[in-house]
Amino acid sequence: MKSVSELAGEVRSGGTGRTYAIVAALVVLAVIYPEIVESLQDLPLIGDFIPRTDSMVVMIVFTMMAVGLNVVVGYAGLLDLGYVAFYAAGAYTAGWLASGHFEQVSFEFLSTAPAGAPGIHISMWLVLIIAGVFTTIVGILIGLPTLRLRGDYLAIVTLGFGEIVPQFVRNGDSIGGFDLTNGTFGISPIDSMGVGDFVFRTESNRAELYYWTAVGLLLFTVFCCVRLQNSRLGRAWIAIREDETAAAAMGVPLMRTKTWSYAIGAFFGGVAGAFYASFKSGAFPADFFFNISVFLLCMVILGGIGSLWGVILGGMILGYLNIEGLATIGSKIQEGGLDFDPTKYQFGIYGIIIVTMMLFRPTGLIPERRHRIEMEEGVHDTPMYDVTHEGTLTDRDRGND
Amino acid sequence: MSLTLKSRGVYLIGLLVAALALVAAGCGGDDGGEAPEALPSSSCTAIEYEGDGNPDYIVASDLPLQGASRTQTLQMNEAIRKVLTDREFKAGDYNIGFQACDDATAQAGKWDSGKCSQNANAYAANDKVIGVIGTFNSGCAAIMIPVLNQAPDGGIAMMSPANTYPCLTVNLPGGCDATEPDKYYPTGERNYARVAPADDYQGAAVAQYMKELGVTKLYVLNDKEAYGLGVATTTRKAAEHLGIEIAGFEAWDPKAASYESLFRKIEGTGADAVFLGGLIDENGAQVIKDKVAVLGPNDGDVKLFAPDGFTTQQTIDDAGPASAGMYMSVAGVPVDEFSGVAKEFADSFEADYLNGARIDPYAIYAAQGAQIVLDAIENSDGTRTDVIAKMFETEVTDGLLGSFSFNENGDPQDASGAVVGFTIYIATDKLETSKALSPDPEVVKAAGAA
Amino acid sequence: MASALARLRASSVTDKIGLSLVGLLIFWLAVNFVKDPTEFVNVGLIGLTNGSIYGVVALGYTLVYGILQLINFAHGDVFALSGLFASTIIVSVLGLDTDSSVPVIVGGMLLTLVVVMSLFSIVNATIERVAYKPLRHAPRLAPLITAIGVSFIVQNVALAFYGVNFRSVPNFIPTSDVIDIGGITYTWKKLTAILIVVPLLLLLTWFVRTTRQGKAMRAVAQDREASAMMGIDVNRTISVTFMIAGALAGAAGIVYLLQFNMRYDTGFELGLIAFTAAVLGGIGNLTGAVLGAIIIGLIQAFNEGLTWLAPGSDWTRTIVFGILILILVFRPEGLLGERTPEGA
Repeated sequence: MKSVSELAGEVRSGGTGRTYAIVAALVVLAVIYPEIVESLQDLPLIGDFIPRTDSMVVMIVFTMMAVGLNVVVGYAGLLDLGYVAFYAAGAYTAGWLASGHFEQVSFEFLSTAPAGAPGIHISMWLVLIIAGVFTTIVGILIGLPTLRLRGDYLAIVTLGFGEIVPQFVRNGDSIGGFDLTNGTFGISPIDSMGVGDFVFRTESNRAELYYWTAVGLLLFTVFCCVRLQNSRLGRAWIAIREDETAAAAMGVPLMRTKTWSYAIGAFFGGVAGAFYASFKSGAFPADFFFNISVFLLCMVILGGIGSLWGVILGGMILGYLNIEGLATIGSKIQEGGLDFDPTKYQFGIYGIIIVTMMLFRPTGLIPERRHRIEMEEGVHDTPMYDVTHEGTLTDRDRGND
Repeated sequence: MSLTLKSRGVYLIGLLVAALALVAAGCGGDDGGEAPEALPSSSCTAIEYEGDGNPDYIVASDLPLQGASRTQTLQMNEAIRKVLTDREFKAGDYNIGFQACDDATAQAGKWDSGKCSQNANAYAANDKVIGVIGTFNSGCAAIMIPVLNQAPDGGIAMMSPANTYPCLTVNLPGGCDATEPDKYYPTGERNYARVAPADDYQGAAVAQYMKELGVTKLYVLNDKEAYGLGVATTTRKAAEHLGIEIAGFEAWDPKAASYESLFRKIEGTGADAVFLGGLIDENGAQVIKDKVAVLGPNDGDVKLFAPDGFTTQQTIDDAGPASAGMYMSVAGVPVDEFSGVAKEFADSFEADYLNGARIDPYAIYAAQGAQIVLDAIENSDGTRTDVIAKMFETEVTDGLLGSFSFNENGDPQDASGAVVGFTIYIATDKLETSKALSPDPEVVKAAGAA
Repeated sequence: MASALARLRASSVTDKIGLSLVGLLIFWLAVNFVKDPTEFVNVGLIGLTNGSIYGVVALGYTLVYGILQLINFAHGDVFALSGLFASTIIVSVLGLDTDSSVPVIVGGMLLTLVVVMSLFSIVNATIERVAYKPLRHAPRLAPLITAIGVSFIVQNVALAFYGVNFRSVPNFIPTSDVIDIGGITYTWKKLTAILIVVPLLLLLTWFVRTTRQGKAMRAVAQDREASAMMGIDVNRTISVTFMIAGALAGAAGIVYLLQFNMRYDTGFELGLIAFTAAVLGGIGNLTGAVLGAIIIGLIQAFNEGLTWLAPGSDWTRTIVFGILILILVFRPEGLLGERTPEGA
């Protein structure tokens, strides 16, 4: 129980009892949601705007990715514009290890697929972990050569990776003659989650089962983040974010600390990607494009950079708008006789959110304490100052702040 | 300041929880009622029903209603509505409501795999959904078929008016993965049929026409999308079978600015024809312009062929004079050569639903698909299983697409008329019929195989 | 130069890898040249033309980066919007067509250039005022993130006005050949691009080198605070920089429109390419941006147009962004950038 009280303490709103109550209430609310959703949808006025359980799963998946991205962007202050690469890595891990894609072999381990089915079928529960680990490795591989770059350069490099990965996946149907990704057609179907004969996908309450799994994964993610925030590593991230040079001088190992943030952020992206691939039963190259990265970034900014609870709020809001909200609002507008389709301008709307937030409330809906201080007082050093190239391009802006 | 903010937050959350708990306690489970529960409004239109009483069942259409295909898919839905209206929303004894669902997101501008999965599960979960007309894109069908296949009560009948990926229904040796198509049907029972001829037919038709025009060396381009790559592959195989040399097979990047260097390379190979497997919306007009700029006009030394992704007036409008002389194919008989029931349908459809605009070839396929689904429901005992069975037993005689029945895979067989025919158009300032032909079964087989 | 040599001597493993990559590239080009010189030159000319168009966009990035150290993501989208706007002027307002007479075409084009360039210089300066200026003292990532937001807004403005279809203008510039020597050809249409781009570059160079405002820009780029202390109006200088960048985007939009089709999202893709070019040449360095753009144009064209061991167009984007990553990893200061505090 000690961890829960720490968790509660982290919310920082005075008495731990009260925050404990809030968190518990939210968790209970989240868990019983599928049971009350139908009653909610019958409510007058707001009933049409209540997301279905099915949509909630997708919202949670994207929120989980946003929380992962928040580890990189919020905690360590490294702008990552290619987070979609981790999502792709996770989804394709699920495709490789839990589908009939590698038809030349037949391997089955605790999965829901029938025995003897062609392809590799490992239990999706294990695949989630494997996907997380694999994506972590991808994150480290991307991070090692690039993390010594300055902030905006790093952003561009990650953007480059975010652009390359989808094309690689698309062209990956003959890597030296080997069909790695099934190219344009993607990998489908991907195994369902489940245990033995209890297969989520064929159960009548499939959406609920996936939903509770998603809630569990999100809680796990949140738990990890809460623990990380106050850990040695978490404090090292803040130090680097605020003043990299000073942090290095105080003995914080820059590369290792940054790489950890990348690896951990990637881990959650991978798990979420694999889970989502199983939920929708497929991984396609067309799913992974730059806008997804921006969409996730927008969630982080809306909620509050570095603020765990904020990012969850931002993620749920934007996830809702993406999957149902804008379409529902649009249909209301069209019922009202106006020919305007907000889904068409989805990214324009996100753009407006980003700009408005940055200009008027850069700390987000639920600001994180330290970030607010940083925004108000500025940071001593440009974040992510390039120490390996000391005295290079950025020297000029030292002391500007 | 911050303290007050926080306490306010606490009270708000507390209030919210209390309210929700009240709601949950207050109004639990009110089912019953006559009208079936509608599919979610975020994807689908409200139930459209104009008959007496309440609908017994729902038929849904699943098409990408946003982005590039929108003009076609809107017409397809209108065609389905016309079929339903003509039948007064009845299939025999059953009242049928209709919902048009969208599997595209604006974000992607085309079908989205998440949306396809979401829709499919919504159909499966709603026990009033008895038939699905769709999908438009084969990739979306690959996700949807297994979900509908495993739907409660024996699966949901799915009828596609537009899917052309061959491996959805049949394993072409070498052309499909070994696990296809079985992986799409986890229960082992089939629930999917289509009225659109698969890519291997189109590839064969195009290649046969190339041969006829004396093409000896062909360069095949594709847009790296499921549709474009599929039709490019079958065309290549059919052409090889007919003894046409393949000079190259490559993708064009729809996001690139120009394709001139690509055509320079093609020029170097000495190809006398180029095939564009893809869609006009994937920067196709620029591809056509650059082809003409480098390799000369399409009625010159190097001919230009394209599949039905290009067969629209938009191609001519966008590419301008560069499109002149290019050949474009489409399944079915030419729109201006419709006869019998198809002509009647097209005429009244154009007058009543399109304000006189031209019917899109796909609208006829959608209408035929709707008729088959409604007939199957009419002949069934009202269970999902029986609707599937009756769909497979369908025999269409002189229907909108000619005469045909389904084989055990769900593909049209014993067909005559539009369902196996192809029209090759040539571009002038509009699409002019160049030739109507039915591909040779031998060539079709070669187009699908390795 | 000496420092470069010194660095080479003390070169790390990464530098060696980088050099060997360049070596392989040159070898590959040489083999292709020997195999088919005509093809090589033809494809090279295509790359050169495209590269010079990218260059105009890249200049916009590099100018703004030089002065604010801000990657102005919205620049590509401003470029696309300006091109689409130009299509309205050319087609709907002026009604230029293939049978218009030469003076009408030339006059019409000049008029379009003036209108579009001045309008979009104002648009770009307005964007700076509204979206970037308030963030000048915020942490570095704030304006960068804002720029991404602005990019999407501008893109959606283009979407709202011009829809999802590609736009183009009639082929009123003849596609006949200017030169045709032994199979090597170059068309009037491509020459038009060069004829607009080169004078623009000369004008820009003159402006930055010799005018008061240009000198002020260079001063602010080197040290904003010192410039302010020396009496330079920093805000005004930044505004002027954005105006010039906007005008360049407008010009690039027109040149692009004359050659290719464009639609609302053309700018995003081209913006990334142009940005890569700017980084390749050494961001903040004007000559470098153009050089980088031409290299990118050539690489694209060679990759798609050459026959010996070319990966082909399936991989073009991977190659372009791969170059971006390699450059940033191996030589973040770019080809012409220097590792000095003065930067540009």
